[in-house]
Amino acid sequence: MKTRLSPILEPAVQGVSPLALVMATYLLFAGHNGPGGGFAAGLVIGAVIALRRLADLPFPAVATPLIATGIIVIATVAAAPLLFGNPLLDQSVWKLELPLIGTVKSGSALPFDIGVTAIVVGLVMALLDSPIEASDEIPHVREENP
Amino acid sequence: MSILISATIVGPLLAAAIALLFRRSASLRDFTAISGLTVATASAIGILLHVESGGTHVLRVGNWHPELGIVLVADLFAALVLPVALLIILIVEFFAISQRRTAWGANPELAGPLLLVLTSGVSLAILTGDLFTLFVAFEMILVSSYVLLTHQGQQAQVRSGMTYVVMNLLSSTLFLFGLAFVYAAAGTVNMAILAERIPTLPDGIRWGLGAWFFVVFGTKAAVFPLFSWLPDSYPTAPTTITAVFAGLLTKIGIYSMIRFHTLMEMDALGPALLAVAAITMLIGALGALAQSDVKRILSFHVISQIGYMLMGLGLFSVAGTTAAILFLIHHMPVKTVLFLVGGLIENTQGTSRLSKLGGLSRTSPALAALFAVPALSLAGLPPFSGFVAKLGVIRAGVEETATLVVMAALLAGALTLLSMTKIWIGVFWGPPPEHAVGPSPTPANRRLMYSATGTAVAGTLTISLFAGTLFDLSQRAATGLTTADLYIGAVFP
Repeated sequence: MKTRLSPILEPAVQGVSPLALVMATYLLFAGHNGPGGGFAAGLVIGAVIALRRLADLPFPAVATPLIATGIIVIATVAAAPLLFGNPLLDQSVWKLELPLIGTVKSGSALPFDIGVTAIVVGLVMALLDSPIEASDEIPHVREENP
Repeated sequence: MSILISATIVGPLLAAAIALLFRRSASLRDFTAISGLTVATASAIGILLHVESGGTHVLRVGNWHPELGIVLVADLFAALVLPVALLIILIVEFFAISQRRTAWGANPELAGPLLLVLTSGVSLAILTGDLFTLFVAFEMILVSSYVLLTHQGQQAQVRSGMTYVVMNLLSSTLFLFGLAFVYAAAGTVNMAILAERIPTLPDGIRWGLGAWFFVVFGTKAAVFPLFSWLPDSYPTAPTTITAVFAGLLTKIGIYSMIRFHTLMEMDALGPALLAVAAITMLIGALGALAQSDVKRILSFHVISQIGYMLMGLGLFSVAGTTAAILFLIHHMPVKTVLFLVGGLIENTQGTSRLSKLGGLSRTSPALAALFAVPALSLAGLPPFSGFVAKLGVIRAGVEETATLVVMAALLAGALTLLSMTKIWIGVFWGPPPEHAVGPSPTPANRRLMYSATGTAVAGTLTISLFAGTLFDLSQRAATGLTTADLYIGAVFP
């Protein structure tokens, strides 16, 4: 049975977490034309994870797959225009008329931003999830120079 | 052509991510790493062939105009350096794969993906046409190098890694300040526009910017007096990491310096650069003489050799720049090979300290041969590539009657030979050591390590074989740099 760190911190972080995720999602989509973007969204999610770590609440620890997937997504989006004879990192923009919501503008920048978010979140997870300890498997000790 | 340029940057990055995803499976990871590097190297060779016949190619990233966006410029200078750099990393990766299974190897789960990120950064640094992207590329290289250097967590690595990280963070900070200054003074960070605007700035600002970026790139290149981080940190890392660092990282610094200072016509800084070059050569060569460890001797040689390239640049003539470029191309593979041989020595006898080594010329003559060729080349003896490169630098110096620096270059050359002799006597002559030898690699791994090193040695011999062609190409590349209009014309057709 784990002891509660603080009767205020834990429920507060519990309550804030989903709200912050909504905020992050908003930032991710807002980034195309307004302030925000994939990096900002990643930082907000990262902040949630840091808070959960402080409050001793569980958070998913999938750092390496997130970073790797993020890089794969960005590299693919960056290189995809080459297949259509366009230069590296070229982007295409689509406009959609949706019922109720109205005109939605999106493009290849969206998966790129999601990739950025994944990398930022992955890095935060990696930082928070790695206990710092010395390696016991030192292959051989090099002599110091006099 | 755009695809080739993109592949040298995106290819290794994509491979890094895939290798990271499959890091636990040795065969998948190694296959990804090798194929990523092979694609990049093949693309780089393709770029060289294209640029050689078709002239400079400019890639506008995201189709933005150069004044607004990022450009990647594959001019002849970039096209010459890029394949050499990538080929070195590919060969080292082969060596690393075979060394991993021994006690000396780097941790492959980390080193594999990070080496690929570093490769991507190297390609970007070589190809970029604006200063800010150069900063980003430097950071890609540095961040991966911090981890590669210290990831084994040994005491010596962490201690010297501290110096390395602090020095490089300082120089990165100075770089950022420099970018702000350049932007304030010229209103852009695009190198083609800068090449137009900086020469028209008032002298004080112009030379100030030149001196500032000399410090920035000089720290990366380890010139006197900013070299202190190098000889401590390099020898502590695993062989393969040191080989890549010694072959490439300081060279990226000097590459950027050659590009920046010739394009921006910083010729008034020439005398200062020559003075620093002379001191760097001598300090490096003398420092090497004082060491008693193979890897430390070789690390000091890196510094000494940087002096030669700086001397070629400091002359600010076409002949000088040609010589600097040729020296750069010769030096990268030779230095890498020497460190790989250092690694083989360590594998065979369990240490790299001269006092504990001996008798290798009898027990493994192949190793002696693999060492002798690049060592003589580095010392500048004919008919090896180092001779052609050094001759070029010294001839360019004589043309400009820079007598003192030419004398320093000759003296440093003799001292280099002396310290190589020191390694030769310590490692290859005398009785074999009696101390316990560490775990030795399996025969298959040993064969792969030797053939990787052998391929690299053959590569250095190829350079001396095609020295004439390379000299002509370097001359064309140097003309492209010293005549800034050619570069500007390529970016703004």
